[in-house]
Amino acid sequence: MKTRLKQSAAALAVTTLTLALTGCVESGRSSATNETDAAQASDCPWEADDSITTTARIAWQAIPNADVVVKDLGLLEACMPNAEISWVQAASGGDVVKYYGSGDVDLGLMGSSPATIASSEPVVRDVDLAVVWIHDVIGEAESLVVRDPEVIDLAGLEGGRIGVPFSSTAHYSLLQALAEEGLDPATDVEVINLDPEKMPGAWQGDQIDAAWVWDPVQSQLLEDGGTRILSSADTAEAGRPTFDVGTADRTFVAENPEFMAQWAKAQDHAVGLIQDDPATAAESVAVVLGIDPADAEKQFAGLSYLRAQEQVDYLSRSFPKDLLTTAGFLLDQGGIEAVGTPEQYAEHVDAGPARSAVGG
Amino acid sequence: MVQLEGRPVPPTTATPESRRTERATRRRTRLQRLAVHGASLAALLLGWWLVTRTGLVRPLYLPPPADVWDAFVRANTDHPISPGSDRIVRGEQNYYLWEHLLASLQRIAIGVGGGVLLGIPLGLLMGTTWLGVVLEPYLNFLRSLPPLAYIGLLIVWFGIGDTSKIWLLFLAVFPPVAMATISGVRGVREDQLNAVRSLGASRRQALTSVVLPATLPEVLTGIRVATGFAWTTVVAAEIANGIPGIGGLAYLAGEQLRTPLVIASILVIGLAAIALDLGLKHLEKSLVPWRGKA
Repeated sequence: MKTRLKQSAAALAVTTLTLALTGCVESGRSSATNETDAAQASDCPWEADDSITTTARIAWQAIPNADVVVKDLGLLEACMPNAEISWVQAASGGDVVKYYGSGDVDLGLMGSSPATIASSEPVVRDVDLAVVWIHDVIGEAESLVVRDPEVIDLAGLEGGRIGVPFSSTAHYSLLQALAEEGLDPATDVEVINLDPEKMPGAWQGDQIDAAWVWDPVQSQLLEDGGTRILSSADTAEAGRPTFDVGTADRTFVAENPEFMAQWAKAQDHAVGLIQDDPATAAESVAVVLGIDPADAEKQFAGLSYLRAQEQVDYLSRSFPKDLLTTAGFLLDQGGIEAVGTPEQYAEHVDAGPARSAVGG
Repeated sequence: MVQLEGRPVPPTTATPESRRTERATRRRTRLQRLAVHGASLAALLLGWWLVTRTGLVRPLYLPPPADVWDAFVRANTDHPISPGSDRIVRGEQNYYLWEHLLASLQRIAIGVGGGVLLGIPLGLLMGTTWLGVVLEPYLNFLRSLPPLAYIGLLIVWFGIGDTSKIWLLFLAVFPPVAMATISGVRGVREDQLNAVRSLGASRRQALTSVVLPATLPEVLTGIRVATGFAWTTVVAAEIANGIPGIGGLAYLAGEQLRTPLVIASILVIGLAAIALDLGLKHLEKSLVPWRGKA
C-alpha cells in the first residue's frame, strides 16, 4: 500500500515537472516589447514602412553605441511593423563571424579586425559580408593601463608583460603602438592573450604589468591604481584607427535594399540621439548593458560616432584602406592566410545603405 | 515500467513497540543532522559576511552576502535601471532569474530525455550482443571529450539556436546512461537467469522478469550521474547565445564583472541541481524498492 502511494507520488512529481517544462520560455525577448514598459515601445520617428516583410536576424554586442540604442528603443520593429526581426547576442566579433558561417545571422556588429578576417582568405570563402556602417571609431574606450605608476610611456614597459584579448581591435592597437615605439612584441615585451574578465584577477595577482582593454574592465583597472598611458585614440591619430562596424550578408543587402535603408536610418537616428540627447541614449545603453546610466554616458566619450553623411564619406573613401592595413597586421599575426587586393577589400565595403539614410 | 511480481516484504518479527522506538530514534537522528547542516551553513555565511565586512577581500572578488541577495532579488523583479530612474526593466537581460532557470531546465530535460531514450536501448543491445565490442571504444571516446572542445563544431552544424545546446547536453548525457545500462546488464546474476530458465522461461520472459528489473537500479544511478553531467555542461552550452538560460546569465555576468550576479546564478544552479538530484533519488527509491535486496 505504502509503495503504491509512493509510486503515485513519484508519478505525480514527474507529471508536474513535465508540465512545468513544457511551458516554454521564448527566447530573444526585447526590452521594447516589455508590457511593463509599454511607453518605451517607441513610435517610428519617421513614416513607418508597412511593406517590408523581411526576416532579419541581427547579431549584437554589448558595446555602448547606437546599435544597442536601436535595439532598446525598438526602432526597427516600430519602423518595419511587418518585418520579423530577431536579435542574437554575441560575445565577440569572432563569434559573429562564426554565426555568419553557420547561416544564423544576416547582420552583425564586429570590430574592424574580425571584419578584416571575414574579408580575407580563408574565411572569405565561407562568409560573404559587406561593412555597411561604422558604429563607432574607438578612442579612449580602449586603452593601455599600467600597474606601475612610475611607468609613463610604452618604453617603460620593456621587459614587462602586457595582457590583451588576441585578435581584437585592442590587440591590433597595442601591436601598432609597440611598432611605433620600436619595440618588438616577440622579444622586448611579453604580450599574452587574456580575456578582459580575467584581467582583474591577473592584475591583483601581479601577473601582468599592463593591459590594453575596454570597459568595464578598463575602469576597474584604473580604480585599482592603474594609469592610462596610451589609448586607441593615439593609435588612430598615428594613422591606425580601429572601429566597431556594422556588417551585413551581401546577398541579404542585395535582396533587401528597403530594409537596409530603414536600418541605416534607424542607426543614424540613434547616433543623433547620442550626440544631441545623450541622457536618453545612455538610458537605453544602460538597460541593454545592465549598467548605470551615468556610467553609460561616461562611456560615450571613449568612442566617436558618425552621422550618415560622414559614414558615406568614410566608407567610400578611406575605410577599404583601413581594412587593407589591418590585413597586413593580421597576416603577421597568423590571423589570415593572405592579404587580399585593394579591390577585394573595396568589394566588402558598401556605402549604399548609409547613402540612402543621408538627409532622410 | 517493469515490475517484479513478488515485492520484498519487510521483516515481520518486530513488535509494534520496538518499531515505534526505532522510528523515534530515526526522527532524532534526522533532526540532529538537520541541526548540523544548519549550523555549518550559518557558520559559512557568518565567515563570508565577516571576511567581506572587515575588508579582507575586495567586493569584486567576493561581494558581501547582502549584495548577492540584492542581485538575486533584482534578477527576479521589475526594477528601475538605477535608483531614481523611471525606466523599469524586467529581471536580468529581460528575463526573470526563474525564467533563465526554467529555460536551462527545459534544455536539460530534453537533453537528458533524449539521452535516456537512446542510451538505455543502446546499452541493452551493447550489453547483450556483439554490438558492445564494436561500439564501446566510440562510446568511451565520446565520454572523455570535454564539451567546451566541441561546442564550436556543434554550432557550425546546428546553428546557435537551442538545437546545438540540446545536442551538446544530449552528447554529455547519453554515454553515462549507456555505460550504466551495459554494466547493469553485465551484472545480472547468472544463477538467477538459470533459475528462471530452468523453470521454463522463454528468452523474452527472462529479459522482462530478470534482466530488466536487475538492470534498472544501475540505469537509474546512471541517469542521476548523467543529469549531474548535464548541469556541468549547461554553462558551456549556453556561452553562445544562451539568453535565456541560467548558465548563459552566469557567463555574461562574469564578462561584465558583476560578481554578485555571478554568485547568485551559481547558487541557483547548485541548489536547482541538488533539488533535481534529490527528486531523482526519491524516484529511484520508489521505482526500485528491490535495490540491494535481491
